[in-house]
Amino acid sequence: MASLPKIPEYKAEWAEGEAGRWGIAIDMDLCTGCQACVAACSMENNVPFVGEHDAGYGRQMAWIRVERLWEGEYPEVKATPFQPVMCQQCGAAPCEAVCPVFATVHSQAEQINLQVYNRCVGTRYCANNCPYVARVFNWADYSNYPEPLANQFNPDVTVRRRGVMEKCTFCIQRIHKATDQAKAEGREVRDGEVQPACAQACPADAIVFGRLDDPESKVSKLSKDKRAIKLLEDLGTQPRVTYLKGGYHGNLG
Amino acid sequence: MTDKLSRRDFLKVVGAGAATAAVLTGCGPASRYVTREPYTKMPEYNYNGQSTYFATTCRECAAGCGLIVRTMQGRAIKTEGNPYHPVNLGKTCARGQATLQGLYNPDRLRNPVRNSRGESYQTGEKDWTEINWDTAIEVVAQALKDPAGVQFLLGPAPDHLFDLVREICKTIGAPAPIRFGALGMFEARVTLGEAARAMFGRPDTLFFDLANADLVISFGANFLETWISPVAYTRGYSKMRKQRTRGILVQLEARLSQTAAKADLWHPIKPGSEGLVAAALGKLYAEQKFGIAPAAFEAVDVAAAAEAAGLQLEALENLTALLLDADRPLVIPGGAALAHEHGLEIAKAILALNALLGNLGKPGGVFHTPVSPLGEEYRRPASLREMAELVERMKAGKIKTLFVHGVNPVFELPQALGFQAALEKVPTLISFATFPDETAMLADYILPDHHGLESWGYQRVTDGTGQAMLSGAQPVVAPFYNTKSTVDVLLAAAGLPFKDEVEYLQNQVAPLVEQTGGFYSAADLPSFWALFQQFGGWWKNDVSLSAPNAAGATEKKLNLKAVEASEQHEEFHLLVYPSPILAEAGANKPWLQEIPDPMTTVMWNSWIEINPHTAEELGLHNDDVVRVVSPFGAVEVSVYKYPAIRPDVVAIPFGQGHTAYGRYAEARGINPADLFGPNFNEAGDLAFADLKVRIEKTGKKRELSRLESKLGVYGEGMEEH
Ligand code: SF4
Ligand code: SF4
Repeated sequence: MASLPKIPEYKAEWAEGEAGRWGIAIDMDLCTGCQACVAACSMENNVPFVGEHDAGYGRQMAWIRVERLWEGEYPEVKATPFQPVMCQQCGAAPCEAVCPVFATVHSQAEQINLQVYNRCVGTRYCANNCPYVARVFNWADYSNYPEPLANQFNPDVTVRRRGVMEKCTFCIQRIHKATDQAKAEGREVRDGEVQPACAQACPADAIVFGRLDDPESKVSKLSKDKRAIKLLEDLGTQPRVTYLKGGYHGNLG
Repeated sequence: MTDKLSRRDFLKVVGAGAATAAVLTGCGPASRYVTREPYTKMPEYNYNGQSTYFATTCRECAAGCGLIVRTMQGRAIKTEGNPYHPVNLGKTCARGQATLQGLYNPDRLRNPVRNSRGESYQTGEKDWTEINWDTAIEVVAQALKDPAGVQFLLGPAPDHLFDLVREICKTIGAPAPIRFGALGMFEARVTLGEAARAMFGRPDTLFFDLANADLVISFGANFLETWISPVAYTRGYSKMRKQRTRGILVQLEARLSQTAAKADLWHPIKPGSEGLVAAALGKLYAEQKFGIAPAAFEAVDVAAAAEAAGLQLEALENLTALLLDADRPLVIPGGAALAHEHGLEIAKAILALNALLGNLGKPGGVFHTPVSPLGEEYRRPASLREMAELVERMKAGKIKTLFVHGVNPVFELPQALGFQAALEKVPTLISFATFPDETAMLADYILPDHHGLESWGYQRVTDGTGQAMLSGAQPVVAPFYNTKSTVDVLLAAAGLPFKDEVEYLQNQVAPLVEQTGGFYSAADLPSFWALFQQFGGWWKNDVSLSAPNAAGATEKKLNLKAVEASEQHEEFHLLVYPSPILAEAGANKPWLQEIPDPMTTVMWNSWIEINPHTAEELGLHNDDVVRVVSPFGAVEVSVYKYPAIRPDVVAIPFGQGHTAYGRYAEARGINPADLFGPNFNEAGDLAFADLKVRIEKTGKKRELSRLESKLGVYGEGMEEH
């Protein structure tokens, strides 16, 4: 039997290191499940609505969803703490390895996971490989809104068409704007200077965004909090989103 | 800039910088509108690739949050919260985010029209004819000439339009305008106000200082959803949790609401038992703390109260222990808790409990709201009984012209009140609606107002913040259609000595220029007006909450009764709650329709929540269509097996079930208000939480669109059917 070619160690090839650059910390004790983040994200990023039928078919396009599960049975029933889930911007992203056309790639500058819409050919391998179900696919030209609804499109963000995969970008258009501004002023981006739409809207201040490579930033500190957990961390994906556990295990015993 | 604005304040404004660039002020104090211009001829404050930001007030509910709207080349692109605004400090709810879909909604009304309803009124057929604004103003002017026959019905927010209409009505001798909104009905605001009057001597919706409490017991107050000022109370909640010792939330209500989902402890008490539970807690607390219970609580039988609530006695004792343990306990009355026949007594019991806990006027306690800087007494929206009186006057032919603005009574009022039928006795109905809602479709004239984001204005805001304030509104884009500001229409029709709305507004805010202690001050009105637009309103820097008068609050005897138990399987308590996402007016915004309900993840439709065990006993499955029958009406709706609701209670969200209101709202789901009867509590609020319904199988099935099942598509959590 001929010897197999040596396959490079997956992580060594793809992982970018433990730290990461931009990150989010979400305090599940504070999140009230109000969905303001979902609405804000959709408005900022031109995320279309798909209608009752397609939405029920699992084709709803939101880039962020608020999960809650049920535990126990009445009357000992609880809803688990609301958990907003978006693309975790994995340092070792499972979606990137499987795209045949390099439509989903890692950006060196921002160290986040990009989706290049005009490269995407719609194989949907990436969505299949994403353990967080963070990716959504344009099954139709959902953005063909009746006039004049399209007036609210954000000119900073591409409007996607049918056959293209998309997902949360950490509002990269806002990151770019802030970085450019900082560069023009010859300084680093200040902590809190840039916020994705979800964090900006969140009435409970549950979502905190910032630089993970700055140990003094709010998000870095929260990521090291004793309540901090990562989603499916043992898969080795190096998620850049940290969740702070919260809920019932507090002071009621 | 004026010299009174300090350099530091000026820098603050400029420093809003990166995130909000500079917030502009229309285009100078005197100008009327911003204009949308082509690329080649841009206004001087507009640059290619640069956004312009305007501060205004959110009109999606009466909370009056401040918005900063990002515009580009004359288009509104994104709404954000105004970081300086005392109500929301830079944050918004989902409805505030989606407000642009009202502005750019394809079904907005575009012209003033007349409906020659004549014979076809009964059948609802319409024959709309476009008219011009001069004709429209003439129609309004004619109607105002018969002041005794004029009635204005306005939305729930106390805004500049309300102030103007009040003045006009006073001048011409017409009955005072009535304000109404369904959210106020679901919050039983009148009952809360009347209870405050009875207990503290001043009617008020009160301010509950969530942020500083270390134990909050909420009787079904859905303050994280729609209650009174949800963004402000969410901030309070967040602060409460972030205290050094994390604050505890206990929620007592029959169904685990979105707010209850955040509670550390949830007790599904029986509807109607809230007052007894509050009194029992008061008695146990007082006996253990002072050795004797005050008059308000001494008569209550604790064991019977527990029984009526469906609780173990132990649960009440544990709650009492929590209260005794807490430094800053707070008890909040929710809307459904007061929407009982004896709801006023329940509200009093809850306020008396607060008085007993000694939290009145203390951090983490209950306060009186600040007085508006324009000066005012307590003004509240109408109670349902007052709405019923309005309907009576309509039926008696006393109203010749009914003006409707900012409210959709045909949809929002219970059908049993007979508003729609009474319209037949009103010769002229003039609607100022922006959308073809149910009421507008029955009108003789629709004279569409601008959308909120195209409008000037102010709103008196007293809830949600301790700072006395006036929230400001300005157009962020030029009006899209041939609409006209209702204030301008009324100014012209009533022949008032104001050139236009802006002049009226400037006249109204003029007294503020003199006031001290504000966020900014200016030497003269034009400068003040510019800053008012720039910051989105005016507010005092200091908090001016006052302590309610506690004297005797726990000494008044209360008359508390339990409601009779419903017989299992025959009748169920119906709990109607405002949809946390759609609330009263969100159904015409497609993105709100597609945002999953926080608890059920259902999108685009209505459902009825039934405990899984009850469903099993009734032989019902998810998505089965049932007929829900009350003595006053019936609706057909799909079943959602809700794991966290009492077996003797069913629940339906309010917000869907429109028969008009544009393509995204129309013919979608059902309106549970159709089931309500005309039963009021002592304060005149609708006793909707007393309603019992029967549930009948139909044999039909209608699948609900749920986000949950999306996860199922990928393999996990597949629902059984
Ligand atoms: S906006 Fe904030 S509180 Fe609301 S669902 Fe999102 S993360 Fe949770
Ligand atoms: S709470 Fe009301 S006023 Fe505030 S953002 Fe939401 S809808 Fe607008």
